[in-house]
Amino acid sequence: MIDLILTTGAVNLTVGNIIMWLIAFLFIYLAIEKNYEPLLLVPIGFGILAVNLPLTFLMEEGHGLLWKFYHYGLEWEVIPPIIFLGLGALTDFGPMISNPKTLILGAGAQSGVYIAFFGAILLGFDIPEACSIGIIGGADGPTTIFTTVHLAPHLLGATAVAAYSYMSLVPIIQPPIMRLLTTEAERKIKMKQLRPVSRKEKIIFPLVTVMVICLIVPASAPLMVMFMLGNLFKECGVVKRLSDTAANELMNIVTIFLGISVGATMSAENFLKPQVIFVFLMGLVAFSFSTAAGILLAKLINLFAKEKINPLIGSAGVSAVPMAARVSQVVGAQADPKNFLLMHAMGPNVAGVIGTVVAAGVFLGLGG
Amino acid sequence: MVEWSLAIKICVFGLSAVFVSLAILIASIYVFGVILKNLEKNTTKKAG
Repeated sequence: MIDLILTTGAVNLTVGNIIMWLIAFLFIYLAIEKNYEPLLLVPIGFGILAVNLPLTFLMEEGHGLLWKFYHYGLEWEVIPPIIFLGLGALTDFGPMISNPKTLILGAGAQSGVYIAFFGAILLGFDIPEACSIGIIGGADGPTTIFTTVHLAPHLLGATAVAAYSYMSLVPIIQPPIMRLLTTEAERKIKMKQLRPVSRKEKIIFPLVTVMVICLIVPASAPLMVMFMLGNLFKECGVVKRLSDTAANELMNIVTIFLGISVGATMSAENFLKPQVIFVFLMGLVAFSFSTAAGILLAKLINLFAKEKINPLIGSAGVSAVPMAARVSQVVGAQADPKNFLLMHAMGPNVAGVIGTVVAAGVFLGLGG
Repeated sequence: MVEWSLAIKICVFGLSAVFVSLAILIASIYVFGVILKNLEKNTTKKAG
């Protein structure tokens, strides 16, 4: 009888398991009640709950169900590139092609990645761990997961949750920084209406981009190739079925496995460590500096440019598509309700995705 | 022991790669924009 009782999960429960259950419930609550990244937080929360049920061995190497999802989905680099295929099929590069100089704002907003990278090193993390923490500043979930799985898989739960949390907190984190770094007059700057972009330009763009980026940073190829393939599906107009599948059904399917696999890495022994707090702290530093760098770079460009840029669109360079662009629109409209910045901000916003993938490629090439 | 030389190399190369690749993309967008415009002009002339 005692032997039988000892085989139940209940007697093997630890305080750590119970704390992780509370975290799981919190994530599920935030997703359902507050609508914070529900597509990710529901499966992540459930994965955390499942992996912290004692004696279920869901993450046992070679046998556990969730281990198989994690191993074949994330360790084999399958899921993040498929998400990028879907993102490509959803992304309109038109505003960026129409005003290409906004691309540079997407580059500037990657500065926070490197500030957090050094911050993490100063806090005692090694270089592969610091790379995984720094990339949170790109505000791009799949890229963060892709980088962390390669360089510091033991931090996957923390970096993925930090990245998605900060992405959902864009409307709270960014506006104070945007107001602090801009004057009322700057926030009122009206930008010239964007020219229409031809279909041919939109078709050529993914072909040129994949060649340019992969020739410069080959390690970024898995994400960049799939991103641009998805975009070519969308823009060529002859493979609507593939484009729709990539953007909807396929992306939804892999999102389920991404979420539950990330949650499954968050066992009590993996997650309840002081270093997780530092990961969140450095993630916030990365995100804040990226926002600030984008705005300051826009102000710098204004010193030389004939046609002024509204510096509020610089903060959209952190990726977090399209949330960051929407925040630029909202803060701009508060200064002048007749100022429509959304389409202008989409340029740096999608450029930020490309910039983050390049930064991740360099981390993977040199930081491993 | 942190390898500071590697950390600095990653930072310098990383930031340069981001700026250079996006700058080349900007240039490419302008170039293929001009090429497409010229092609369209020629096509219109021929049709005319």
